[in-house]
Amino acid sequence: MKTVVIDPITRLEGHGKISIFLDDQGNVENAYLQIPELRGFERFCQGRRAEDMPQITSRICGVCPVAHHMASTKALDDAFNVEPSSAAKKIRELMYCGYIIYDHILHFYFLGGPDFVVGPEAPPEKRNIFGVIEKAGVEVGKEVIKHRAYGQKITAMIGGKATHPVCGLPGGVSKPISEEERREIERMVESCVDFAKFSLKLFDEIVLNNKGYVDMILSDPFTLKTYNMGLVDEKNRVNFYDGMIRVTDQNGEEFLKFSGREYGEHVAEHVEEWSYVKFPYLKKVGWKGFTDGKSSGIYRVGPLGRLNAAEGMATPLANKEYKRFYETLGGKPVNSTLAFHWARLIELLYASERALELVKDPEITSSKIRNPVGEPGEGVGVVEAARGTLIHHYKLDKDGLVEKANLIVATTNNAGAINMSIRDAAKGVIKKGVVSDGLLNKVEMAFRAYDPCFACASHTLPGGLALKVDVYDSNRNLLKSVERL
Amino acid sequence: MVGVGNPILGDDGVGIHVVRRLRGRVKNRGVFFEEALTGGMNLVDLILGYDKAVVVDAVVGEEKGLVKRFTLSDFETVHSSNPHGMSFLEAVDLAKKMGENRLPSEIVVVGITISEASSFKEELSREVAEAVPGAVEMVLSELRK
Repeated sequence: MKTVVIDPITRLEGHGKISIFLDDQGNVENAYLQIPELRGFERFCQGRRAEDMPQITSRICGVCPVAHHMASTKALDDAFNVEPSSAAKKIRELMYCGYIIYDHILHFYFLGGPDFVVGPEAPPEKRNIFGVIEKAGVEVGKEVIKHRAYGQKITAMIGGKATHPVCGLPGGVSKPISEEERREIERMVESCVDFAKFSLKLFDEIVLNNKGYVDMILSDPFTLKTYNMGLVDEKNRVNFYDGMIRVTDQNGEEFLKFSGREYGEHVAEHVEEWSYVKFPYLKKVGWKGFTDGKSSGIYRVGPLGRLNAAEGMATPLANKEYKRFYETLGGKPVNSTLAFHWARLIELLYASERALELVKDPEITSSKIRNPVGEPGEGVGVVEAARGTLIHHYKLDKDGLVEKANLIVATTNNAGAINMSIRDAAKGVIKKGVVSDGLLNKVEMAFRAYDPCFACASHTLPGGLALKVDVYDSNRNLLKSVERL
Repeated sequence: MVGVGNPILGDDGVGIHVVRRLRGRVKNRGVFFEEALTGGMNLVDLILGYDKAVVVDAVVGEEKGLVKRFTLSDFETVHSSNPHGMSFLEAVDLAKKMGENRLPSEIVVVGITISEASSFKEELSREVAEAVPGAVEMVLSELRK
């Protein structure tokens, strides 16, 4: 057996490694994304005060601290048996929209988007924000920076602290929004709505008007027919902050709908000896290996998963885009991995529109921001992180200290699908043991669409984010090594 | 002066330990102390509008516990990597390209060498903890310049 290793992955948080296993004929048999383990998190949480969990868990990751903070705060609502006040829910959701705005902008313009905007065949050193600016112009670059900063500023204003919020408490939030802050947020989100519309137009011009790109989006190596999962509101529309978890099947029909508390009844985790990452699957269907289709319990989360798991968007402009998305790509569900990028921009528009609704809501400046908590117990909190469904589950003792903590993070939910996408992309570029030059690009494109995030706070200086491919023969001897800094 | 790091990831958080030691030791009201859990553009946001920035962070090195002074030109790639791998250096570069005029005229990085941090804990290893006073002194001398 030959092995191709890509280690570590460029432009992602943390370090991952891709191993591609070839069969005796030198063709791709399987591909696995291996993620380094950050050890001892659950033990680290044991015995901590429950109210510290939103701060502690937000530090797991430098990318989505707001998502962890929110899932954790909601798990505490549940564990202390308290329903937050209506104003508190709106304040939380408004902050959360700010996070989705900056995170989706980042991914589209800095990470996954450059593959399209600059072009999949462009040299890797051009496929970044600098390449985007070169192609789209400095003025566009300035708008990108400005609106990303708006998203950050909204979360910082409401969250009480830049990047890592401290506002979430069981039963509510720690401070209200002043009228002055409200006006400033309104001005920013109005601008974000326009910027989201502009981004969709840019996607139209650069991607959808290019037949080559559309063909690639719809091509087999970038297609997976899995189940889809996401949070939905009472009308089955996408919701980031709250709702029921809905799963749809390969025909777009509802397959499951359940509350956060019931996740253990519906989702199980498959273990492979070569990976620290567990592979979640739908219990009702079962684990059938790394394969798609109705008989395999693998599902996808994140922008595409959410759109597929829902029946629409709750804001007018985003809903119009939602319909156009399915009309253009051949109906529901869309199974093209690269459509994640388009879905992400539709969500950017939704988050901006939703933020505008919330900031205009008279209740948003209310001072009724907290309800009294009950006795400590067990609680589950679910949100849609930018990358997909995020679940925090805590068990508290009678003194409100953490006995047990379990987290299922967004990227883990996608782990099975990511492996298949990498395998399928690699098949196109590795034939009879010959590894063509496009390997890194194609494999990167396949997993980058998911915007995977391998934890956690690896910000250390200087440490290169290199990309390395090792090719092994069937006896696992190193045949070839390709490295990119 | 910005301490960068994750305080729950062992030695990774050494920059935070340093800034916490420095607070209260500097009387000059023109000096501000910040803690940053992430790098990249978020870090650049924190230093806009100041004359000089001193960034204290963990640096992966072969020997643990050394204290080194860098300027940005010393780095080929500065991996301080939030958002997703946009390095601090790239973020500074991007800000310049976008016509940002509030960047400090001098940016100094004080690095403390660590091995890879991969365990959740709040304490520093012995070697890295022993390097903290040296890093504090280096920052103080930078602030006097």
